[in-house]
Amino acid sequence: MCLAVPGKIESIHGEEALTRMGRINFGGVIREASLAFVPEARQGDYVIVHVGCALSVIDEEEALQIFQYINAMRDDSVPGGP
Amino acid sequence: MAHRIIIDPVTRIEGHAKISIHMNDDGSVVDAEFHVVEFRGFEKFCEGRPLSEMPGITPRICGICPVSHLLASAKAGDDILAVQIPTPSDKLRRLMNLGQIIQSHALSFFHLSAPDFLGGWDTPPEQRNVFGLAARHPELARAGIRLRQFGQEVIEVLGGRKIHPAWAVPGGVRNCLTTDGQKRLKAWIPEAFATTQLALNLFKDILEKNSSELLLFGNFPSLFMGLVGPDGEWEHHGGKLRFKDSQGKIIADQLDPRRYAEWICEASNPNSYLKSPYFHRLGIEAGMYRVGPLARLNVCDSMGMPKADAELRQFKQLGVGAVTSSFLYHHARLIEILAAVEFIQAYLDDPDVFSNRLRADAGINNLHGVGASEAPRGTLFHDYTVDEDGILQKVNMIIATGQNNLAMNQTVKQIASHYLHGKEIPEPMLNRIEHGIRCYDPCLSCSTHAIGQMPLRIELLGPMGQVLNEVTRG
Repeated sequence: MCLAVPGKIESIHGEEALTRMGRINFGGVIREASLAFVPEARQGDYVIVHVGCALSVIDEEEALQIFQYINAMRDDSVPGGP
Repeated sequence: MAHRIIIDPVTRIEGHAKISIHMNDDGSVVDAEFHVVEFRGFEKFCEGRPLSEMPGITPRICGICPVSHLLASAKAGDDILAVQIPTPSDKLRRLMNLGQIIQSHALSFFHLSAPDFLGGWDTPPEQRNVFGLAARHPELARAGIRLRQFGQEVIEVLGGRKIHPAWAVPGGVRNCLTTDGQKRLKAWIPEAFATTQLALNLFKDILEKNSSELLLFGNFPSLFMGLVGPDGEWEHHGGKLRFKDSQGKIIADQLDPRRYAEWICEASNPNSYLKSPYFHRLGIEAGMYRVGPLARLNVCDSMGMPKADAELRQFKQLGVGAVTSSFLYHHARLIEILAAVEFIQAYLDDPDVFSNRLRADAGINNLHGVGASEAPRGTLFHDYTVDEDGILQKVNMIIATGQNNLAMNQTVKQIASHYLHGKEIPEPMLNRIEHGIRCYDPCLSCSTHAIGQMPLRIELLGPMGQVLNEVTRG
């Protein structure tokens, strides 16, 4: 399965709902994502992104909870290839 | 060999979908592999936690289809409590799952896939996305966004929060529908029908103009698996497993999904974290099966709702026995949206969804439990083993993208065989491989890359495994 890592909206450009874009910060890596599906998203919000589209806005508390889980998983070993 | 993996969020984002194409000396394609870097550390992470935490954790980690994991997790919990949940909570869970199917399918059809078939296959990748669609078909783009919003609202009205509703629990659900929620959702119904009908008409139009894609994008015999009701009707949350072959013959039926391990075998691939499930009795090659919208429509005999049933009858004409082209996953998604809107409309007038008899209480009565539910992308299994105190000892999850992996490989192989004549990797092949994979709407760990574009790395390998050519995009 995939991990849905929340990213923080650093800045937003564009006005029109369909073409609004956000610069999203995923732990230091910046990605552009379409905000067409999250008209309510504002700068500073956390979003879940799938194939370049922000799917949903989550509050900071939720985002921190997810980061906590992900950090807890860092120490797990998994068998497998590359 | 076990080795240590650092689960760094950044590597989750940076990854490319890697594809290996194995060639013969004469330049023909022998095989293809689409390497899905599936993350399995999650299962280990869950071990040692109380069962009651699972419906809260799984949707948070698997945030692309949170409702599917929530429901499968709650169902595995029902099995461990050994309870039959009250009818109202079963209906409410179904209502939420229908909302999830609509929102996920709407995104896949309107915004990830339609830009390919509306914009033209050889349009540059930067135009085959939601912006290209907004520029050329703004009404369609808006209608698709609103349809997805309707699905999200169904989830929100029940779960309270859009993304991580810890609303379904072992034994039932926490809240019923309110009359205010009923009113909000009812207001959407006419528009949801209109948008779905518009998309169905559009897709049927496209189908006539894309007959070569129909033959090329994953058109091969395979088995199909999905849940069906007792009379073979379309199922998305309850029911039993059915396998059908590409001639349309039912090869196994009414299998208890809790005993999935007797029917489904998981082959490990040393090159990937992904296990490749297949139908045990037929072996890994003949036992390859597809899951998801195409499979569900192939295995079922009826949708159980009049509008969707009329569409299903037309759909079944597209194949002999079964519909075998993966390009028709798109078509199947639209018919499932239509059925979902019809079922939601019916549930909104069902007195049960306002009932407060929502939860069966019990302790740990089984040390092993399985929950199966149809996620938008296909059948999802959560398999838990607990101790006497309900602490998880072992967790296994079988996800849709994993079950479709063998079929995705076959799809890539089919497209590559058509386009590759030697070591050169032609650009039209890249677009088509990307779309061939997109038909399955996989949830990819690398999926946060460019807008609507799948970051791809394709390598051509010779008979001795030597790299003949390589191309990276995105």
